[in-house]
Amino acid sequence: MIASAFSLLNQPSSLNPDTCRILLNGIEHQVPVAMSVAAALLYLGQGATRQHPVSGQPRAGLCHMGVCFECLVTIDGQQNQRACMRPVSANMSIISTPKDLNS
Amino acid sequence: MTQVYDYLVVGAGPAGMAAAIEASHAGLTVLVLDQAATAGGQIYRNVGHSSTAQERVLGPDYSLGKPLLKAFMAASCDYQPLAQVWNIEPHAQGFTVAALIDGRSVNFVASDLLIANGAMERPMAVAGWEKPGVMTAGAGQILLKASALLPKQVVLAGSGPLLLLLAHQYRAAGVTITALLDTTPRSNYWRAMPWLVAGLSMPKQLIKGMWLTLVQRICVPYFANVADIQIVGDAQVKAVRFMVAGKEYEIPTNLVLLHQGIVAQTQMAQTLACEQEWSDAKQCWQTQVVKAGQTSVPGVQVAGDAGAIGGAQLAQLEGRLAAMARVKQNCTHPSWARKLAYFALSWRIRQLHWARGLVDRMYQPAPWLSTPTGTTVVCRCEQVCAAEITDIAKAGCAGVNQLKAFSRAGMGPCQGRQCGLNLGYLVAQAQGRSMAQVEPLSVRSPLSPINLGQLAQATEL
Ligand SMILES: Cc1cc2nc3c(=O)[nH]c(=O)nc-3n(C[C@H](O)[C@H](O)[C@H](O)COP(=O)(O)OP(=O)(O)OC[C@H]3O[C@@H](n4cnc5c(N)ncnc54)[C@H](O)[C@@H]3O)c2cc1C
Ligand code: FES
Repeated sequence: MIASAFSLLNQPSSLNPDTCRILLNGIEHQVPVAMSVAAALLYLGQGATRQHPVSGQPRAGLCHMGVCFECLVTIDGQQNQRACMRPVSANMSIISTPKDLNS
Repeated sequence: MTQVYDYLVVGAGPAGMAAAIEASHAGLTVLVLDQAATAGGQIYRNVGHSSTAQERVLGPDYSLGKPLLKAFMAASCDYQPLAQVWNIEPHAQGFTVAALIDGRSVNFVASDLLIANGAMERPMAVAGWEKPGVMTAGAGQILLKASALLPKQVVLAGSGPLLLLLAHQYRAAGVTITALLDTTPRSNYWRAMPWLVAGLSMPKQLIKGMWLTLVQRICVPYFANVADIQIVGDAQVKAVRFMVAGKEYEIPTNLVLLHQGIVAQTQMAQTLACEQEWSDAKQCWQTQVVKAGQTSVPGVQVAGDAGAIGGAQLAQLEGRLAAMARVKQNCTHPSWARKLAYFALSWRIRQLHWARGLVDRMYQPAPWLSTPTGTTVVCRCEQVCAAEITDIAKAGCAGVNQLKAFSRAGMGPCQGRQCGLNLGYLVAQAQGRSMAQVEPLSVRSPLSPINLGQLAQATEL
């Protein structure tokens, strides 16, 4: 996993967001609650979401509003979920393996 | 027994919220479905839960959404967040609307519909835009509004108010903007000149827009009249290459945010067979409106950016007008005060649309961006490049829908949302036709993919 190109907007530490535990490819992480799954992936430094079925290249969410379908991941066993349309929740399991980039 | 709502509104943006408030105050039973976790739409996304740091960075226009949101939450309408509408079809008592909620499909029935599902960003197919590390400016802003997430460093490229606004917001948040590449063609400024009168009818907005443009030009490494943008990198963006006045530049970056205006999301109205029309000014397809949001299909209205793009203020007024028109159906003798309010509102909406003419002309997409060439990917889902599409178009295919069958472009999960416009432009160019003569990409249900498990669990409410 590479260093994240994204960070949280600075706010007073008293306002640090509540976090929740998620599993990304089986590995435990803490991420702020109410973040979308796609945002959580970026926050954790995973710049790509999936391997393109035709080209085999890694791809990442383009629009973050549900119209490009590039952010498809498996959430709690359900395949092809748009990561940008689902907020993270406690103990959510996300499988996202864009082979080339993150291996 | 299934509840039949008087008015079902898709979208809780300014248009949908205003309509729901108006209709529920008048006593209609109203249901609002929105796929986002919180109400607000694009402009006011998450405004009910934003931190003071977010509000400071996003600016005063964002916080303007609070009173509207408060009135919406207080209105006596049903509101279902995280509900993705994936199908709408006629029903004996009006329409059935199927939404995916919490992993299962739920059916709602309503006699009348208001489609207020807003706009999306115009796809900007530059070479290499499919690489991880490229997103849209809207995506950048959504991450900031909904998740308080910021890039550490970024290159912004394209054209339009939202790109400038995001630059402003990112600067306020301390993001390093390595460069702002403005693709607005110089000729646009001349073309927009006659519309200055329209812009002058809203002096406050005009001054705000000019100031926003000027500040970015001074405070950010700014390149004007940029062409031939190429995203460089293998599995991840490494740099962006572009031309200005015949000179090539390359700027290292690991994040590029693209934007060239917004276009109406017509797919929902299209599945209901609402007539579409090409707008030359806005350079996009839009749903034909007879009056007060009424589409060509009885019982179906559109309002806000889902109809003719106009921005937040217009969306809110159009939502209200559409609801007033719906309420009028139930009321045989409306009072004079109501009639007057209705006409005043219609007139104001007309005037605001006219004033919008300046922005429409100023930020029309550069021709080189509408008609990509060579190996530039046009259809991201099926990985179809520009040259392939142009070849098929030149061989004489009848239009974009036949082109889809020949090339698979537009057949993927996004259903042509990311390629439809460019397919049209390429066909129009290859065959010497105008966009209005090239039909829009047809849409089939489901609006977003749904699996059998979700369908099997379908329930009626
Ligand atoms: C990414 C983006 C960012 C923008 N940011 C700004 C900004 O900062 N300032 C500004 O002035 N303008 C902005 N705009 C312009 C914006 O379109 C208008 O200002 C305004 O939000 C339009 O209001 P609306 O009610 O017509 O639609 P929207 O505000 O877009 O609301 C539409 C609603 O419909 C919902 N929806 C869409 N499809 C479905 C579906 N299938 N099922 C259920 N719900 C659905 C969406 O979740 C959304 O909440 C932005 C536009 C975009 C696309
Ligand atoms: S990022 Fe575009 S659909 Fe999720």
